[in-house]
Amino acid sequence: MTPQARKDPEGNETKHLHKFADFAGKRILEIGCGEGRLTWRYASAPSLTVGLDPDRNALRVARLDRPSDLANKVHFTNAHAERIPFRKETFDIAILAWSL
Amino acid sequence: MVHALGEIHRVLAPDGVLIDLRPLCDRWSVEVVSARETHVTGYVTDLPLGLEDDAAANRAMAQAEANGWFTREKETFFPLNYLWDTASDMEKWIDKEWENFIGLDEETRRATRSAWALGDADSRVRVRVKMLITRWKKQQG
Repeated sequence: MTPQARKDPEGNETKHLHKFADFAGKRILEIGCGEGRLTWRYASAPSLTVGLDPDRNALRVARLDRPSDLANKVHFTNAHAERIPFRKETFDIAILAWSL
Repeated sequence: MVHALGEIHRVLAPDGVLIDLRPLCDRWSVEVVSARETHVTGYVTDLPLGLEDDAAANRAMAQAEANGWFTREKETFFPLNYLWDTASDMEKWIDKEWENFIGLDEETRRATRSAWALGDADSRVRVRVKMLITRWKKQQG
């Protein structure tokens, strides 16, 4: 069994993400959301968040972890970034989360 | 990658923003830390695949900029720490999770084990990852 690592215990990633984008009321697309580790650090502010990832198992974990109060505004979609299944001009902010 | 950036450009609203957040290979330091002190025990070895990934991502963003899809507004680097309870935990985790991207040489492994074993009771092991965050603004392209 692989030991656990604590990732970013100081929260530097979250601090910088919020410095670089104002999420309040925006429509967010997060590409490479995985299990939603980063998603939960900003998802209470936007009006809509869509997490995109090609890994179905990771998305299953993300859906299970989704807090009930965010169920109506945070959604996860199984897709590759090369073919994003949304109409043009749907989002205000796109995040490439460790995925470029 | 460039095709993915074209897709992102398509689904972003006019004046939309793209945040690119990613780690960069740069000989991240390995440290034994406690409340009292920080001891740098070595540096990871950047492996060709990790370096090539960084170069490919940079080329893709440069191409997207040249295509007139995005302009860079703001950029900075910051550290992001990974923390383990023991030197052995850190080695096992890196060997499994980052096996293709970075390596740990024997000298760094030995120095880290030793510093952790001789360190304070609250000593932990960490790797200080270099992160890049860039804010890009959508252009009409």
